[in-house]
Amino acid sequence: MSPLSGNSVFLRSLTRTLATLPAYQAGAALADAPPAFTEVGVRYSHYSEDDIDASSVIFGATSRYDIDITQLWIEAPVGANWSVALDVQNDYQTGASPWFVGTDQDGQPGVIMSGASIQDNRVEVGVTTRYFWADGNAGLNLSHSDEDDYEALSIGFDASWNTAANTRTWTTSVSNSSDKVNPTQGVIPVFVMDEELDTQSGYFGVSQILSRTTIVRVGLNYTYSDGYLSDPYKLNDRRPQSHERIALSTGYRHFLIDANASVQFDYRYYADSWGVDSHTVELGWAQHFERSTLTPFFRYYSQREADFYQVTADLSEPHFADDYRLSSYGAMTLGARWAINLGDWTFELEGERYWSDADWGLYDGDSAPALVDFWRGTVAIIWRFD
Amino acid sequence: MTATGLASKVQSHLEALERRYSRYLAGSLVSTINRRAGSGEFTRLDPESETLLEVADQLWRSSGGLFDITSGVLRRAWRFDAANTTVDLSQLESLNKKVGWDKVKRTIEGVYLPITGMEIDLGGLAKEYAADCAVRLLRDHGVTSGLIELAGDVATIGFQPSGMPWRVGIRAPQGGDPVGGIALSNAAAATSGNYARTLRYEGRTYGHLLNPLTGWPVEGPTSVTVIGENCLSAGAVTTIACLQSPDAAMAWLSEAGLPWLMIDQDAGYHGPLASKLGLGPP
Repeated sequence: MSPLSGNSVFLRSLTRTLATLPAYQAGAALADAPPAFTEVGVRYSHYSEDDIDASSVIFGATSRYDIDITQLWIEAPVGANWSVALDVQNDYQTGASPWFVGTDQDGQPGVIMSGASIQDNRVEVGVTTRYFWADGNAGLNLSHSDEDDYEALSIGFDASWNTAANTRTWTTSVSNSSDKVNPTQGVIPVFVMDEELDTQSGYFGVSQILSRTTIVRVGLNYTYSDGYLSDPYKLNDRRPQSHERIALSTGYRHFLIDANASVQFDYRYYADSWGVDSHTVELGWAQHFERSTLTPFFRYYSQREADFYQVTADLSEPHFADDYRLSSYGAMTLGARWAINLGDWTFELEGERYWSDADWGLYDGDSAPALVDFWRGTVAIIWRFD
Repeated sequence: MTATGLASKVQSHLEALERRYSRYLAGSLVSTINRRAGSGEFTRLDPESETLLEVADQLWRSSGGLFDITSGVLRRAWRFDAANTTVDLSQLESLNKKVGWDKVKRTIEGVYLPITGMEIDLGGLAKEYAADCAVRLLRDHGVTSGLIELAGDVATIGFQPSGMPWRVGIRAPQGGDPVGGIALSNAAAATSGNYARTLRYEGRTYGHLLNPLTGWPVEGPTSVTVIGENCLSAGAVTTIACLQSPDAAMAWLSEAGLPWLMIDQDAGYHGPLASKLGLGPP
């Protein structure tokens, strides 16, 4: 906090009220001016899937994936109108995953696991340059991701600009990714080599300040992929060569002055050319304190299965898959985020618990035996300096 | 955009604010609200005006009712500019009934003054807000060096073209040379004074600021200057300081935690800025 923002209860509440007027919106001003500070951040997440229920397993381990995600970034202003950011992310994944779904001697479907042998490390490096003008900014991003069996090169462009006296912000982005799939031979046999995948994606959205306490946003995303889309580590997985996806996302934020809190509501609709469609609803309550914001949230998700999904894959069909991620199911997430500001330092903590169940979904479909539950925890430290 | 073009853009923005918030212009939002006092008709507010009234509400609460945008009508009981100040006590009594921010109705329908003759005056806020809007407009057009002065309130952008901070003089209550100069960069300074117009009544000197709780002039500081992030918050702190006794004002200013200078009725100087400028007691 600058020494000229004062420290009395009166000035703090006045600053909060004024923040709803465009003339005092530091956020809006920063959005259209390069960062005044250099920012360095590190974020670590641990994702841990629960063991699969032994009764669902015909053969193999019951333990599933654990992933450690470490992200480091630095963003610095360059001259009066530019910024440059470097982002490095490392994902380390260990554990087992369902190889295929078969039937036991009683005719019940069950999972054959891959064995707790998979280890994979992925490193992604991205560079973004961004140009700022009075009413907006635009960025160009290049990133390269490499792991044992997968390499991806992507380029993206995004822009956002303000209109209507800074009460409306338009955002658009386009990206292209060229991927190479070269699965590693391990304890499970793999039958593909040197496959390719190309993906193009576009987004257009707008956010609008409706009143001094209310902001809404809506956006549409379209993604098209062409190439190898099957999962090489699953035995019975042959997916179409193309995949079209569309997602409509909306959000609503309402600030409650007396409670010094905001209500957050988000909804997303997704549909794709494989017959999957889904609804995601998230409700959050952001409680602001003097130096921190605590946001508990609840998320509900429901998806309809892909046209070619079956609990046990039918190999006589042109396309088939027994991947639980393509089945009909519902999921609930309960979590909380806590962001603490201490001068030049920001600390973020987040934890969430995810449960999925075929019976919680809005759509019919046979229950996949390998639906997943997981924990995720994240800690981040961000430092800003001149 | 050329400098002249930008200046005229700022000018027209300030005029638009004046057309909305001036109580002297018959068509303004403020005049409309005032005209509808006691009529039962609410006046709808845009988000900007709604926020300014919210600011007025916060100032009223934080000052224990001393800052009150409905207090302007009290001036009618006092004749300040005459050689011999007079007060019409019977009128003061009836005017007092038309004062009180807590009487104002604010609902989803807008705002409404429930007593005929009641008035609001955003003069204590709108000028500072206008200066802040001008700064924002200039910044949005890429201005990196500038100074805005609106009747005593100053806001600055960046440094002078020479690389030095902007220097702003603080007026001496008795006139003449400024008492000192303060350096500002990306900061605002607001001054409220009780010195511009004073009156003598029954042997005592009063400033022109009136206490809305009593209807009588305030025996407060002669002048208060505060430096802040923006004109509106600096102005709010100075205005509320000037409505209090000098001791209460100093406590209020210290609590706010912004750099301040207070000149009392005996021409004594107080506050962190006074020490910085080498000014002391009378």
